[in-house]
Amino acid sequence: MTRKIVKSKYHFEPDLIETIGEVSIEEIKPWGSNDELKIIGKPTSRIDGAVKVSGEAVYTSDVILPNMVYAKILRSPHPNAQIKNIDTSEAEQLEGVLYILTYKNAPEIGWYYNTSYLFDKQVRYQGDEVACVAAESEKIAEDALHLIKVEYENLPFVTDAVEALKDNSPKVHEWGNLPRGNPDKYKRGDVEKGLKEADLVIEDTFTTQVVVHNTTEPHCSVAKWEGSKLTVWDSTQAIFNVRDSIAASLQIPASSVRVIKKYMGGGFGSKLEAGKYSVIAALISRKIKRPVKIVLDRREENLAVGNRPNSIQTLKAGVKKDGTLTALSHHSIGSIGAYPDGAGCSWPLRTIYKCENVSTEEYSVFTNTGKSRAYRAPGHVQGTFGLESLIDIAAEKIGMDPLEFRLKNYTDKDQVYNIPYTSKKLKDAYEKGANAIGWHRRNKVPGSSNGILKRGIGMATQIWWGGGGPPAYATLKLNRDGSVNVMAGTQDLGTGTYTFIAQVASEVLQLPIEKISITIGDTETCPYCGASGGSTTAASVAPAVRDAAEQMKAKLISGAAAILETSEEKLIYAEGIISVKNDPSKKITIHEIISKMRERVLVTTGARSANPEGYMINTFGAQFAEVEVDTFTGKVRVIKIVAAHDIGRVLNPKTLENQFHGGIIQGLGYALMEERKVDSNTGKVLTANLYSYLIPTIMDTPEIEVIIVSEGDSMISSVGAKGVGEPAIIPTAAAIAHAVYNAIGVRIKSLPITPDKVLNALTLIKR
Amino acid sequence: MKKKITFICNDENISIEINPALTVLDYLRDNKRLTGTKEGCREGDCGACTVIVGRLNGKRIVYQTINSCLLPIADLNGKHLVSIEGLNLDGLNIIQEQMVDEGGTQCGFCTPGFIISMTNYFINHSEYDPEKAALALDGNICRCTGYLGIRRAIQNVIAYLNSIPRKNSNQTDFLMKAQILPEYFSSIPKRLKTLSKEIQYDKPTEKKIKPRYVVSGGTDLFVQKWESLLESNVRFISGNEALKEIRKEGNTIFIGGAVTISEFENSPLIRKHLPEVTKYLNLFGSQPIRNRATIAGNIVNASPIADMTNILLALSANLNLTTNKKKRSLPLNEFYLGYKTLNKKEKEIIENISIEIPSKEHYFNYERISRRTYLDIASVNTAALIKSDGKRIIDISISAGGVAPIPLYLKSTCNFFKGKEINSDLVDEAAHYALSEISPISDARGSAEYKSLLLKQLLKAHFIKLFPQLIEVEVLV
Repeated sequence: MTRKIVKSKYHFEPDLIETIGEVSIEEIKPWGSNDELKIIGKPTSRIDGAVKVSGEAVYTSDVILPNMVYAKILRSPHPNAQIKNIDTSEAEQLEGVLYILTYKNAPEIGWYYNTSYLFDKQVRYQGDEVACVAAESEKIAEDALHLIKVEYENLPFVTDAVEALKDNSPKVHEWGNLPRGNPDKYKRGDVEKGLKEADLVIEDTFTTQVVVHNTTEPHCSVAKWEGSKLTVWDSTQAIFNVRDSIAASLQIPASSVRVIKKYMGGGFGSKLEAGKYSVIAALISRKIKRPVKIVLDRREENLAVGNRPNSIQTLKAGVKKDGTLTALSHHSIGSIGAYPDGAGCSWPLRTIYKCENVSTEEYSVFTNTGKSRAYRAPGHVQGTFGLESLIDIAAEKIGMDPLEFRLKNYTDKDQVYNIPYTSKKLKDAYEKGANAIGWHRRNKVPGSSNGILKRGIGMATQIWWGGGGPPAYATLKLNRDGSVNVMAGTQDLGTGTYTFIAQVASEVLQLPIEKISITIGDTETCPYCGASGGSTTAASVAPAVRDAAEQMKAKLISGAAAILETSEEKLIYAEGIISVKNDPSKKITIHEIISKMRERVLVTTGARSANPEGYMINTFGAQFAEVEVDTFTGKVRVIKIVAAHDIGRVLNPKTLENQFHGGIIQGLGYALMEERKVDSNTGKVLTANLYSYLIPTIMDTPEIEVIIVSEGDSMISSVGAKGVGEPAIIPTAAAIAHAVYNAIGVRIKSLPITPDKVLNALTLIKR
Repeated sequence: MKKKITFICNDENISIEINPALTVLDYLRDNKRLTGTKEGCREGDCGACTVIVGRLNGKRIVYQTINSCLLPIADLNGKHLVSIEGLNLDGLNIIQEQMVDEGGTQCGFCTPGFIISMTNYFINHSEYDPEKAALALDGNICRCTGYLGIRRAIQNVIAYLNSIPRKNSNQTDFLMKAQILPEYFSSIPKRLKTLSKEIQYDKPTEKKIKPRYVVSGGTDLFVQKWESLLESNVRFISGNEALKEIRKEGNTIFIGGAVTISEFENSPLIRKHLPEVTKYLNLFGSQPIRNRATIAGNIVNASPIADMTNILLALSANLNLTTNKKKRSLPLNEFYLGYKTLNKKEKEIIENISIEIPSKEHYFNYERISRRTYLDIASVNTAALIKSDGKRIIDISISAGGVAPIPLYLKSTCNFFKGKEINSDLVDEAAHYALSEISPISDARGSAEYKSLLLKQLLKAHFIKLFPQLIEVEVLV
């Protein structure tokens, strides 16, 4: 018995999850530094790269099946309305239309924590599902949507979170505009007392905008029945979530549902939950007995499949002249859209800096807009902009270097749970990052440089979880020829999951990476792994793969001992050959062992070990930005970003750098251009396409330098990796904002920092 | 209404009866089941569906990138369509290999589009510049990699190509030798020539059916009216060679009604006589859009913020309109009657646009501000053509976009300027004066107040850039 069921804790996004999980208790010695390893930590090209650059990779939206039909969803044009009637008769007459699903004929399937239905008579945002048409072609389905007559009774609506909190505001749900009726509160120490002890109290308000994931591949699903068995190809970050949601919605056994996701065009959190479209495809497919494909279009992507909530954050800090923080408080309001979600963003303030007196109050508010979803470091991106802006102001007010101020309030333990970290190398990140950007070059007096083009340097800190945890499993199959299949129920969003799994197996078994084939994203053939989100995938899955590979190695040694008639201790394993320590002429190959055992495939299944009790696992980092501001037009250009982070062991410098670059550019988009705009008069989204919703292009890229200050964290697991995806984006916008301030001497307290805000701010100070 | 379309798809000769308005994207994915070309937005904004289209020009093939979501299959007649599948060799080519090794691909969904755009850059250039190569990818959105791996891949491919000795071979042959293009590319010119003999062009009798839409580049129309275009009687004029001409008569340049932005930008005639204008054209849309969108289309589309229209207003362009029977001409600044309302009869099309070549005493400048520098519509733009002896303004024409329901010619402001000596005070005064002429509205691209402020700044910028010796920047900031 190499496994045990234990209590284990881990963080997925801001949720502390306590599970009773099955873990490996195999004592595997953690790897030492990457210098001692051959494959891990070495630049390895993405193993799924070749099929992507040749166009061979089949994404969910590329799946074409025999006899397949297409479905399109009719969505509410109104922000809040009661459907009085739907007349589909004319649409049904259109040649090629096969089936139409509305609230009238759809089963009553509860959705959004049972606050609504798959098809509800009440629609609560522009984009809420009203009907779905399946037809012989996408074009016919699209045409049929225009023929469906819906009688709406329009109701008062609210699109702004602050408005929605007022007593006289229209209610998105009958019970009110706060999902639980109250804000979420956190408190430690006594803030009032802390503020009294302070030499200076600073209070300010910062706002951030709603942004949309806009993954390149839209959300999509293809459903196909064979008898009572359903196969769903889904563009998802969580195959098992989708499987269980579909099974529960259709009231069929989970064993009858197989969810497959091979390649997907990005997720960033928007594909963590099962989509209505997946269940709808399955329902219609069952009815018409043909495979059904639903691919959302770009407009639907911008209306209906998630976003990062906005925030209005009011922060207060008590500071002593020597820089000590005596109190911190945070009040935030954010729109979660029409259905339950969270818009809280106070975690960075609770954890980054040493402070005894802290209080936070988070209002996650319903509005008649598209529901928010986790988006790459949910809460932390907004919260870090607010907190770090306040810290920057505080440092300036007491005349201290912003970096020194941060070091002054450094903490070695997690203050929410009052426990130490497994590792924290933030100080190294500060030091190395500052050196790389040339921190001394910043304007000592913000805005003091001459000329129309002004340069500035700023920085911000990052904290996130990302330690991962059980349950996560991997099954390893070793073939006679020394080739390996690894199966794990995880997903690769483009992050590099395929590649690190192959690297781990290759490292342990000392077999060439080309001989290792990976199957992930299939609920039927792969053992369970969690959703790919929260920067948990590598930290959770890599140790399970290592466990499986180590077991395989042990199995081979055991087999060799039996065949060579010696004891296991006398044998050594090298590159697929097992030999006797003192007599190298006595050796045996994988092929010989497996053949003698009369098997063709040897199988092991590994599991993730438990996280250590009494410790907090976090990632840390600091990013430094240099910008140039055209004070004549207000345009900001980012020149350089330095990202210095503690993320545990680097598994693959190539995919790691990719993740950082991508996160930073998304952060740059958040800082300067991306913004979902809703017209408060009509409740409609003004930016539901990619020419008004702006994503950075190749022409917007600054120089980026990534510095990793950490090695493997042996307290977490035998692999010692933490996550990367989210740390990358968290401090970028704040660092850019502070650099803009350093350049022009006016602080922009509202994201995105667009030319109009900068120009208006500069004009105001001139007056 | 089906039509016979004859072309080459990758290495395959195709001749099919098909709805001419079907997009090439749907043709590839649905009809040919070539799914390497991805659908990301269907609006020409993401580049995931980028393809290369080659057309015969004498003995050579001219290749261009196009957003296949905005390209009607009718336009492929006699052309060579290249999708990602048509670039694959037995193994990866150097572009593909570098994209993998340098982290130019992550989720991979946008990757075929990037490789198509990169390949097309190398087909069209024999000397390489990493920054210009990157600019050729300005229409491709990637949400994962942050683009730096793609930039490194470009640099490595350039280094590789520069290391290969080249004889006097043409670029396509060179790229075949460098194992970037498959061998079959060498057969394309001959095959297209043979093919072009088989093509049936519209007979005049068919034209009696009144077309519902006249489509030129269609980069806006296909975004708005894709479904209805499939069913309507559409007249495509983008292939009309007579409308593709750029010529010079005396001191006047005539730009045909089907000339694209790219053709305009790369025309030797334009480069010689309007060099200052071509400098700014890479700010217009993206490379594939510029390859498709026409100047006349930009004018007729009547967006108040259109880049080309505002440039042409400052150049005092004239429009020469034609029906089959009647011709007339009018100044561009009299073409707009109100928001999207034109001084144009239904049957009229723009035969050509004429511009007087500016003299050596003319100074031209164009300014635009947008959130995203490339691939973005400006909040406010303005072009200025100033005739000056180096001290005084002899003549001036200034346009302003995004500050009125139409692309605006700042008539009073121009009059205000005329004959006066150029100095900071004059510019400051005129910039304020211009505000009396405009009527901006608040929208997604900025508040009315901001647009007024911005126009003032951009008007000043014209003079700071063109007459730095006469202007004290400090006065204007």
